[in-house]
Amino acid sequence: MDLFLQLLFTGIGIGAVYALVALGFVLIFRATNVVNFAQGEFSMVAAYLMVVFSVDLGWPYWLSFLIALAGMALLGVVFNLGVYYPLRHRSFLPVIIATIGASILLDNSVLAIYGPQPQVLQGWFDTPGIQLGPVYLDSQYLLIIAVTIALVFFNYWFFEHTMLGKKLQATSQDKEMASLLGISVSSMIMLTFIYSAILGGLAGVLVAPVLFVSIQMGSTIALKAFAATIIGGFGDVAGAIIGGLAIGVIETFGAAYISVPYKDGFAFLVLILFLIFRPQGIFGERVAEKA
Amino acid sequence: MKFTRRDFTVGMAAGIVAPYVITSARAQGATIKIGMCAPVTGPAAESGGYAVKGAKLALDAINKAGGILGKQGELIVEDDQTTNPGIVLAFSKLAAQSDIVGFLGSIRSTQVHAMAPDVIKLGKPVMIGGTDPNLTHMGNQWLFRCRPNDSYSGRVIAEYGVKTLGKKKWAVLHSTDAFGTAGGKALTEALTKLGSAPVLDQGYANQSQDFTPVVLAIRQSGADIIGSYFTFENDLGIFGRQLRQLGVNIPWVGSPSITNVTALKLAGPALYNTYGVADYAEDSSDASKAFGKLYRAATKVAPDNQSSWTYDAINVLAQGINKAGSTDPGKIREAILSIKKFAGAEGEYNFDQNGDGLHGYNVVRNDKGNIVFDKHIEFND
Repeated sequence: MDLFLQLLFTGIGIGAVYALVALGFVLIFRATNVVNFAQGEFSMVAAYLMVVFSVDLGWPYWLSFLIALAGMALLGVVFNLGVYYPLRHRSFLPVIIATIGASILLDNSVLAIYGPQPQVLQGWFDTPGIQLGPVYLDSQYLLIIAVTIALVFFNYWFFEHTMLGKKLQATSQDKEMASLLGISVSSMIMLTFIYSAILGGLAGVLVAPVLFVSIQMGSTIALKAFAATIIGGFGDVAGAIIGGLAIGVIETFGAAYISVPYKDGFAFLVLILFLIFRPQGIFGERVAEKA
Repeated sequence: MKFTRRDFTVGMAAGIVAPYVITSARAQGATIKIGMCAPVTGPAAESGGYAVKGAKLALDAINKAGGILGKQGELIVEDDQTTNPGIVLAFSKLAAQSDIVGFLGSIRSTQVHAMAPDVIKLGKPVMIGGTDPNLTHMGNQWLFRCRPNDSYSGRVIAEYGVKTLGKKKWAVLHSTDAFGTAGGKALTEALTKLGSAPVLDQGYANQSQDFTPVVLAIRQSGADIIGSYFTFENDLGIFGRQLRQLGVNIPWVGSPSITNVTALKLAGPALYNTYGVADYAEDSSDASKAFGKLYRAATKVAPDNQSSWTYDAINVLAQGINKAGSTDPGKIREAILSIKKFAGAEGEYNFDQNGDGLHGYNVVRNDKGNIVFDKHIEFND
C-alpha cells in the first residue's frame, strides 16, 4: 500500500505538469484549429527566464516569477504576430510547420545563449518535502498539483462566467459568427496565444526545480502533453486535465509494476489504443462525415 | 637572343607561381602536422574547447623541448559538430591533407564507430578517447586509445565495492543506450566473477523525468550498494535527489559521470559521500598533478578528462613518431604499440596489441562537493 500511495502521488504530480502544457495545446487549437508544436518550448523559455532573473540577477523569486510570466505574455504576442498571423488564411499545414520552425528557433536561440549544460533552479519552498506516514510528498509536486487544481476552477469561472471568456469561446466555435456579433477575432486569438504562452511558462517554472532547466525539457513534456490532449479529447479543456493526469499515473505505475525502460511506451500504448477504439478521446464528440 | 611573346608568357607564369610553390614546399617540410577532430560547435562545444586546449598545451611543450623529429608540431583542428556525420566529414577533410601524419579522433564512442571505416581506408594512426571496448577489438589496427575502456570501469567499480567497501548485495542501474548497456553488462559480469551477482539489474530510458519507480525497486530489492552507469547528468541529478528524498542512503559507486562538474552542480548534497571511477584524477600521480598545474595556469579552469586525454594523446603520438624515427604510418604504429611505462596525465601507459594504453581506473570520493582521490586500481590482464 505504501508503494501504491507513493507512486500515485508522483504520478499525479508529473501528470499535472502534462496537464498544464496540454491545456495550452487545447486553447490554441480551439481558437485557431492549429496544433502549436512550440508549446513545450514556452515551458523551456520561461524556465530559462527564471534562471536569468532569479539566479543570474539575484532578484527575489516572486518578482522573477512575475516578470518571467510577463515575458511569456510578450512571447505569446510575438508568436501570434510572427508565426500565426501571416499564415492565418492558409491551410493548417503551413501554420503547423511554422510552429515547428519556431520551436527549433527557440531551442537553438537558448542553446546559443546558455549552452547545453542544464541549469539549477531552486523551488518555492526551503523544505524539499514532507513525510506523511510512509509517503514522501515533494513540496514542488504539491505546489504543481495545487496550481493545476486552481487552474481548473479558474478556467471554469473565466470561460463560463466572464464576458471575455465567452467571447473567446464564441471565437473558437465560429469565427465568422463571432465577427458578425462584433467580437474582434484577431484580438481574441492574440489573447489565446498570450494565455497559452503563460500556461506553458507556468508549467516550465513549476517543473524546473524538479527536472532542472535544460533545452530538452520542453519537448520531453510536450510530447506527453500532446498525447494527453488526444486521450482527453482534442479541444476539450477538462479532457486535457484528465488526459495529463492519466498519462502521468499510467507511466508511473507501468514503470513500477511492468518495466522501467518502457515507461514512455506505456503512455503511447494508451494513446494508440485510444486512436483505434475511441479516436475522439474521453470527452470528445464523435465526428461523422456524410456520404 | 630574341625574346619572344611565348618566352614572356612562360616567364610571367613562372614568376607568379614560383613563390607559392616555394612556400608550399617549405611548409610541407617545416612542420609535423597532426589533425584533430573536435566539437567546435554543437552540444559538446564547451568540452570540445577543453579538448583542443589540452592538445595545444601538449604540443606547445613538445615544441619547446625540440619538437617532433626535430621539427615543430602543428595542430590542425576540424569541427566535428558533435555529430556522427560531422566527424566523418571533418576526418575526410583532414585525411585529404597527405602531409598529416597522425590524428586525434573523438571521446565519444559512437563518433569513433562512425569514422572507423575511413580510418582503415586511410591507414594512419588515430588516437581516440571513446571507451566502448569494441573499438579496439574489431580489427581496426589504426585506433589507439588514450583512456581506459569500459570493461575496466565495470571491474574497478565491482572490485572497489566488494573488496574495499565490503558490500555484496548490488543494485546495478544503467541507461539503456549503447554506453549504459555495455557498462551495466561489464559491471554485472565483474560482480558475478567476484561472487556477488546483482540482486537488481535495472535499465532506464534516457531523459526520464521521474525515478520514483527505480528508487522504490532498489529499496525493495534489499540492495546494500548501488553501481551505476548514467549517460546524462540531468538524469543522474534527478535520480540522486529522489534517492535521498525517499530515504535510500546506501553507498553508491558510479561511472565517471557521477564526478562530472555538471552532475555535482545539479545533484548537490545528494551526491555527497558517493564514489566514482575517473580516468583523470588530479592527485593520482605526479604526471597528473603536473598536467593539472599547467592546465589551471593556462585556462584558469579545473582540469578534467576532456582535456587530459587529448594532452596524453598528443604526447603519446609524438613519442611514437620520434621512436619510429619516421613518418611512415606502419613504423609509427609499431612504435606506439611498444610504448611502456609512459607517465601520462590519465595514468601509466602500457600499450597492448589491441591499441589500449590504459588498463585501470582511479576511484574518487565526493567529499562535500569536492572530488578527492581515493585509490587507483590497475589490471594486468
